[in-house]
Amino acid sequence: MNVLQLKSFYAYYGEKKIINDMDMKIEKNKITAIIGPSGCGKSTFLLSLNRMLEESGGRAAGNILFNGKDIYSMPKEEIRKRIGIVFQKPAPFPFSIYKNLTYAPVYYGIRDKSRLREIAIDKLKISGLYDEVKDELGMSALKLSGGQQQRLCIARALTVEPEVLLLDEPCSALDVKNTANIEKMLRNLAGDYTIVIVTHNLYQAKRISDYTAFMLDGELIEYDETARMFSSPQNRRTREYIEGIYG
Amino acid sequence: MKKISSIFFNAWILFSGLLALLSASFIFIYILKNGFKAMTWEFILSNPAGIPLGSEGGILPAIIGSLLLMLISCVFASILAISTAVYIVFYCKSKRMESLAHVVIQCMAGVPSIILGLFGYTFMVANLKMGRSLISAGLTLGIMIFPFIQVRVEKTFREFSSSMLLSSYALGTTKLYTLLRLVLPQSIRDIVSAVTLAGGFAMGAAAPIILTGAVIFAPIPKSLSSPVMALPFHLYILTGEGISIEKSYGTALVLILLLFIINLVSISLTFWRKEATK
Ligand SMILES: Nc1ncnc2c1ncn2[C@@H]1O[C@H](COP(=O)(O)OP(=O)(O)OP(=O)(O)O)[C@@H](O)[C@H]1O
Ligand SMILES: [Mg+2]
Repeated sequence: MNVLQLKSFYAYYGEKKIINDMDMKIEKNKITAIIGPSGCGKSTFLLSLNRMLEESGGRAAGNILFNGKDIYSMPKEEIRKRIGIVFQKPAPFPFSIYKNLTYAPVYYGIRDKSRLREIAIDKLKISGLYDEVKDELGMSALKLSGGQQQRLCIARALTVEPEVLLLDEPCSALDVKNTANIEKMLRNLAGDYTIVIVTHNLYQAKRISDYTAFMLDGELIEYDETARMFSSPQNRRTREYIEGIYG
Repeated sequence: MKKISSIFFNAWILFSGLLALLSASFIFIYILKNGFKAMTWEFILSNPAGIPLGSEGGILPAIIGSLLLMLISCVFASILAISTAVYIVFYCKSKRMESLAHVVIQCMAGVPSIILGLFGYTFMVANLKMGRSLISAGLTLGIMIFPFIQVRVEKTFREFSSSMLLSSYALGTTKLYTLLRLVLPQSIRDIVSAVTLAGGFAMGAAAPIILTGAVIFAPIPKSLSSPVMALPFHLYILTGEGISIEKSYGTALVLILLLFIINLVSISLTFWRKEATK
């Protein structure tokens, strides 16, 4: 089943066309990896999926259906609640770790202190940050290391219980051990959440994703099951990209 | 060659710094020295007396009047200024509207304060029949400091990290929630210090209130529509009419001390907030 479907979708920054005529279906409760060279429009693609594109000064044309409904005919707040995103550069709020995690739940009307605490701890455990910060939930989130901030932002995105989670290179600031933890977490989440992850690391795409999409200059070049994509890419440019990095 | 120019540059910086410091302390010490004699509890806590009025007695109504004027102008101007800044930075979609607002605000900042007084007099005192009163004078001062606060608040909002804003919107929150829970708490220090500075500026201004509400003598105002005494106007009368030089210096000293205290409060307030958010 598809959660998200793009139909001749275009994205622009000003007059510049970043995404060109994209058609794509994203499977529910699977992990889809987006790969492609720097600047090809991967982040723009992710931003389009939950209407954050318009907040960063971009413009969209064409359709994106979320469970069959056009996201541009739904309130953008609702779309963003149901499709969460973790940006390429982590941006924790300048509050305590705890308050970062209760910021959104409070907005959605949860006032009960013990419930809030439960959410915070639960999401920290999922993102693998809990053991490192369990005694310092009151500490400013800005004092965390880059990788810890990244995991805090993942936890924060989970606090609103989204159905889809978009991740933009979540492991670029992490070491091997934390990367492995995040990958394990994503695999665990995949049963209940649809995950779209942009990554520069082809090994990672291969390890964790069910489907892989290769983008080049704003176009979807090839999109297939991950195993097939890496063993026998159909398109010459996909092959060159994959071999270029592997070989 | 490089060395000489850097020595010259450093000396120049040192000189300018000293000059600024010295002139400020000179003014302060000069007024302290001349006003010190007049500073008694009686001067601070009693009404003006004597013939001509002001040659004896104190300045209590003027102190209270000035504080009230500052309060009214600050409340009025900051509500207006924060709303304008919020609109321009977060809601205004059209570039033309934005530049129009900026032009208007710049023009307001450029209007001489006596003209603002004249405006307050014809518009509020005469047309709206508010009379020469605390409220007319307070609002006129508010108009005067509005651009001052607006420009600073807008700058604070503009400098707010856009990636944090985006993170907040990405959680599905509205602009309003983001403003109230994220932007304002983070900007409150800068806003408070802008408002306090502006309040000091309002408190020291005589021109806008001469026509709109300040009088030579009035008791402590009982309502918003009472006329009011104010320190700068009192100072102007005492000196201009040659009533009492000693009392003028005393009044000046009180005014300066009040401004000093207000700024100190503002600094400690903002410092306290900084500690609290750590
Ligand atoms: N806010 C913006 N305003 C204008 N142009 C932008 C903006 N963000 C991105 N672009 C442009 O859009 C193009 C695609 O950028 P995008 O960030 O989507 O690439 P990417 O594939 O994510 O690259 P990377 O792997 O380096 O993160 C780039 O040419 C970039 O210059
Ligand atoms: Mg990117």
